[in-house]
Amino acid sequence: MKDIVTVDHLRVEFSTDGGTVVGVEDVSFAIAPGETLCVVGESGSGKSVTSLSLMRLVEFGGGTIARGAMNFTRADGSTLDVAAASPQVMGGVRGNEIGMIFQEPMTALNPVFTIERQLTDGLMLHKGLTQQAATARALDLLKSVRIPEPERRLRQYPHELSGGMRQRVVIAMAMACEPKLLIADEPTTALDVTIQAEILALINRLKRENGMAVLFITHDMAVVAQMADRVVVMYRGRIVETGTVQQIFENPREDYTKALLAAVPKLGEMKGKAQPERMRLIGDEAARAAQAAPKARKPKVLLEVNNLTTRFPVKGGILRRTVAQVHAVEDVSFSINVGENLALVGESGCGKSSCGRSILRLIEPASGEIKINGNDIRALRGPDLRRARVDMQMVFQDPFASLNPYRRLKAQVAEPIQNFGLASGAELEARVLDLFDRVRLPRDFMNRYPHELSGGQRQRVAIARALALNPKLIVADEAVSALDVSVQAQVLNLMMELQEDLGLSYLFISHDMAVVERVAHQVGVMYLGRIVEIGPRAAIFDNPSHPYTRSLLSAVPIADPAKRRFADDLNFKPISSPIHPLGYKPAPSTYAQIAPGHYVLQN
Amino acid sequence: MKRFKTTKGLIGIVVLLAIALVAIVGPMVIPPDAATAMDMHARRAPPSLAHVFGTDQLGRDLMYRVILGARTSLEIAVSAVVMSIVFGLPLGLISGYFGGFVDNVLMRLVDTLLAFPALLLALTISAVLGPNVQNTIIAIGIAFTPFLARIIRGEALKVTQMPYVEAARASGTTDGMIMVRHVLPNIRPALIVQGTISLAFAILAEAGLSFLGLGTQPPAASWGLMIQASRDQLDIAPWTAVVPGLAVALTVLGLNMLGDVLRDILDPRSK
Amino acid sequence: MTYVINRLLSVILTLFLITLVTFAVTNILPGDVAMMIMGTQSNPAALAGLRESLGLNDPLLVQYAHWVTGLLTGDWGNSLIFKKPIVELLIQKAVASGIIVAMSMTIALVLAVPLGVWAAVHRDRWQDTVSSSASLLGVSLPDFFWGIVMILVFARALGWFPSSGFVEPSQDLWGTLQHAFLPSLALGLGLMAHLTRMTRSTMTGILSQEFIRVARAKGLAERTVIWRYALANAIGPVITIAGLQIGYLFGSIIVMETLFGYTGMGWLTYQALLNRDLPLIQDTVFLIAAVVMLTNLAVDLLYVLIDPRIRLG
Repeated sequence: MKDIVTVDHLRVEFSTDGGTVVGVEDVSFAIAPGETLCVVGESGSGKSVTSLSLMRLVEFGGGTIARGAMNFTRADGSTLDVAAASPQVMGGVRGNEIGMIFQEPMTALNPVFTIERQLTDGLMLHKGLTQQAATARALDLLKSVRIPEPERRLRQYPHELSGGMRQRVVIAMAMACEPKLLIADEPTTALDVTIQAEILALINRLKRENGMAVLFITHDMAVVAQMADRVVVMYRGRIVETGTVQQIFENPREDYTKALLAAVPKLGEMKGKAQPERMRLIGDEAARAAQAAPKARKPKVLLEVNNLTTRFPVKGGILRRTVAQVHAVEDVSFSINVGENLALVGESGCGKSSCGRSILRLIEPASGEIKINGNDIRALRGPDLRRARVDMQMVFQDPFASLNPYRRLKAQVAEPIQNFGLASGAELEARVLDLFDRVRLPRDFMNRYPHELSGGQRQRVAIARALALNPKLIVADEAVSALDVSVQAQVLNLMMELQEDLGLSYLFISHDMAVVERVAHQVGVMYLGRIVEIGPRAAIFDNPSHPYTRSLLSAVPIADPAKRRFADDLNFKPISSPIHPLGYKPAPSTYAQIAPGHYVLQN
Repeated sequence: MKRFKTTKGLIGIVVLLAIALVAIVGPMVIPPDAATAMDMHARRAPPSLAHVFGTDQLGRDLMYRVILGARTSLEIAVSAVVMSIVFGLPLGLISGYFGGFVDNVLMRLVDTLLAFPALLLALTISAVLGPNVQNTIIAIGIAFTPFLARIIRGEALKVTQMPYVEAARASGTTDGMIMVRHVLPNIRPALIVQGTISLAFAILAEAGLSFLGLGTQPPAASWGLMIQASRDQLDIAPWTAVVPGLAVALTVLGLNMLGDVLRDILDPRSK
Repeated sequence: MTYVINRLLSVILTLFLITLVTFAVTNILPGDVAMMIMGTQSNPAALAGLRESLGLNDPLLVQYAHWVTGLLTGDWGNSLIFKKPIVELLIQKAVASGIIVAMSMTIALVLAVPLGVWAAVHRDRWQDTVSSSASLLGVSLPDFFWGIVMILVFARALGWFPSSGFVEPSQDLWGTLQHAFLPSLALGLGLMAHLTRMTRSTMTGILSQEFIRVARAKGLAERTVIWRYALANAIGPVITIAGLQIGYLFGSIIVMETLFGYTGMGWLTYQALLNRDLPLIQDTVFLIAAVVMLTNLAVDLLYVLIDPRIRLG
């Protein structure tokens, strides 16, 4: 059968102040009808440029198609070279014969138009439908993407819908004219894992029912494993390797593909292993083998958190009085042993970050007890609190926001030491040097500014800064989430190495179950401000007992094409709101112990 | 150091440097009584070789008066903007950094002040204090303070929520040090841009005040004052309005060009 | 409902603060008010008489209370120079200025929005350069300079419009509009330049958003994308910015009305300031600030009507 699209030797250029920059070079691939082709690569690989070129949207971003052909088989069987088509012709193809969905569901819909208007304008334009016919079709579309209460949604505005629902609307919009090709550009990257699972399942079903081809752009190898029939691996604007999903995952030819795959943790691969393991990195096998067997030490409690509760006021009215409260952290208790990690996992808004910040008292808890080495943090005031923070430091998610852009790195790493007058002059210099060595950054980086570094390097600086005071506990709040997968693996390995050398403990806050499975000793699953299940890592992953833990684990894509899980429609229970009126008194968290150290919330 | 990418910024800087040079060096170079010497035979003389920009109703040379006026106008504008920064910066910084009650009270006050048109406020203060150079500075300085405080407060609030401020707090940095080391350097770009734009507005405000007779007083020379004097002779001597008008326009244009370019360079949001 | 009550309470609080600031600026600043009014050369007996009649010998708090009570009960005092109840003066002049403010705002918006959109769509190309340079020049010229140009060109040279004066609308509405046109145009051009720049930057921000790309991906024509999808989002912010310019306009009319001899609020303010007519200064300054504040409130409420995110949120 004739391919839907064949791309030949595509080259896209961008003109910038610094001259011409090549976006993609010599990119060729084909998509057969009914096939899902995944284009995978890290940031800057040119995967999005490729998909935007196919829609001729790349020109609106300042790009030009300098060379190559993109032959698209139209509905009437004729062939159109998209690269050479006029804007008028493209207007009839876009949204009609090729549909596209984008990464950011929160901003993909026009905030001042109703859902109905946004669903129907394409239908009226391409299919010549009347307003009534278009509305009827829009309703069918909302039903086909399984949005609850579709009639009501038509009259609503985007901000009234959750992120997952908005992405369904965007998909419905793209499907409106029954395109033969759907381009999905990182459609689930901004979504929580359960919603990601729903959207992936939805795309699979629509593809099956309509027999359309899908061009799926992603950076996530696990998603590729779940979705792809064939895979194109891109790196720095060029294609590295093309093959079926089985070939790519089981028998990758190119080193880059191998490295990429090695760095991806696979959920379930830690079964039967008691201790965390470092991430696999190609060329790093020796270091991994050298990973010291964990020192047998008597478990000694470092951090103890009892009944921690944190609430945020919701203000309203002229006097900015508190009218309601966000129950961000609700009666949470756990402990962390010296030299061990506790991972707090959960979806966005579950309170895991607020929990970490509360422990450092960067935000003020409402009640509860926080003890580090028996020292009661909540009882401390002013200078004492400042001093107590020496034992606990934090590493943040966004490597671009966690360093002051206007200070030299040296000054930023030295700041904590200076704050407590721990060293000065040559001694300070020596300590900063040592910290840069520890996080494996070249010493000449000391005099640089943050913008001269990559994301991974910045995150190393942030770690060096956190280590400056020789803390006992580091709260790592999604510390590797913003990094490309290979860099993520390197930073994780660094953190684990530091733990072995320095006897550190981590409170590891993450949404990524596969990473948590590799690095954690203990795992706590959070939902609506509470820990619903907590225990040793193996217990949580092998025997998830709370319904939420189970649905969370069932939604995680596995980086193995042999373990596909999103064939059928999925519908997870939507997360309810943690906002309650002022007088609301939640019940205390009570737990049942189902195995030694493994607790499940009872409701 | 980033290079200026557009000619716009270069033009702005060249224009401003030229004007500043004229304002600072000019009064020292020109003959001491050149700007006040009256030539009763050449009253309202059109531009000629003898008087390049023409003369005014008293036969005074307009070129010399524009040069003297440059000094007065710039002096007032710069002093007034410095004054508004001296008051507005701490106000905005404290409000934005500490938030809460302090912020509520301060910003309520600033919002109230913003309901008063700046020119009206400046005119009223100047009228109450009695118009002269010093009071014009005070009037414009006070009138501009709420704008500046608002902008600084917004920037400080934004910076305060950045993770690097949280990291500094977590590593035991005191509030004072956080403001000095982290918040101030990060609001500096906004301050520079706003300062440049405020200077442009201050030049216009001084001209407006003097034009209405509630700013600089004769016999001092200022651009607004010159335009005021030209009002009764627009038909017979339009150059008496055009010359100081162009001087104001050129200066403000230079400042706005520089402000635009600085905003593009310093403020990543506008890219 | 609670929203409306809250807004109302907030308005009352702000009005109260406005009276405080007005009173502070006119009274607490150093300077003898009586001497300010009569000049330094006047005789001591007359000065004492004036102090007594203005209540200047009372404590400041009493003076303030007296003034605010007057404001509330409709007794706004008498003007010293016009020898008339201030309320009467203000009502008449407010109508005159309302015409100018409305006209100049209309001129500015009608020209600025298309020009700003045009510049944003052709960002970094010659159309943008032309529009941006013109508006940059516009914001750099003092309003009164425009006013002088208008007088020279349209009144003196071409004789199309009167160069000065004001006609009561009740007598001759057409005449009123003719007299108001040149000052409005002069104000409108400066304002237009400013609003063009703001529209351009707002539109530039909107055009870079994801939903614009989505609209294009639907195959919508570029003009639909820009004039429907993007502009519908820009109109709220642009109206807000235009509303904030009301304050700027009320400052500028002082200069412009004086230049054109157009006897509105601006002209009245100027007369009050020039003649140190303290009661009139206090009342006009208060009224202008109150009007500016209420206009901004009205714009806020308008925004609520335009933007569904606030309307239903």
